[in-house]
Amino acid sequence: MTKEELLSKLKTIITPYVQNEEGLTTLTENTDFIKDLEINSANLVDVVLDVEDEFDIEIDNESMEKMLTVKASIAVIEDKLASK
Amino acid sequence: MIGNDIVDLQLAKTQSNWQRKGWLQKICTIQEQQYIFTSEKAEIQLWQFWSMKEAAYKAHQRRFNLSRRYNPLNFECTPKGEVYVGNYRYKIITETQNEYVYSIAMVSDEEYHSSVYGKKTNARSKLKEIISEKLNIDSSLIYFTKNSKGIPLVHIDQKAIQLPLSFTYHGKYSAFVVSI
Repeated sequence: MTKEELLSKLKTIITPYVQNEEGLTTLTENTDFIKDLEINSANLVDVVLDVEDEFDIEIDNESMEKMLTVKASIAVIEDKLASK
Repeated sequence: MIGNDIVDLQLAKTQSNWQRKGWLQKICTIQEQQYIFTSEKAEIQLWQFWSMKEAAYKAHQRRFNLSRRYNPLNFECTPKGEVYVGNYRYKIITETQNEYVYSIAMVSDEEYHSSVYGKKTNARSKLKEIISEKLNIDSSLIYFTKNSKGIPLVHIDQKAIQLPLSFTYHGKYSAFVVSI
């Protein structure tokens, strides 16, 4: 899977939880889920669960800790896909 | 050091499906899950634990100037109003109303000021008023910023001062806590 495909899938996952739509239109690797998209912190669990379902991977707590930005999430997904 | 967190219960109901498969396991320890499932008000118990964890997270992050992390499982709640992060203990005061759950976390018994507001009141300007009154400083000289880790700082007349404080917002509610 290319990085663009990954990013596009991730964007689809996070969209329902985004409260600042403007942040979504300017989404980059550096976008922060809480600061830029105003995703509620309790909804980050849903993002993690949706990522697990979409990519058929398991995200342990150590990886979940990092998933506050697009960049960190893509790194976690790539890592988990590689070790599948 | 101090931290706070508010949960708008009505919004939480629509925003989160806590009964979703795997959801609770990512947030709550096995012991916390047992408390939730044996509680007569499971949903309230969950949001009480959640606000305790979030408040303790903020106090812990400020205390050690830590980078942000999403690690709710590392914050273990006890039914006695405490949260443990490894060997560090935080004392929690939780207020449960019909509309919201509000928690304040502190390292020890500190003197603090805290208020909860509805949507129309700005917690920041209220906090400004309190600082202005307590320190006898014109409120126009007071403003807030955040450091690189997202921790709020108070500036008075362009100088940053160390005042333990925390803001929280959710749905119709906002609140601040300050140790002053």
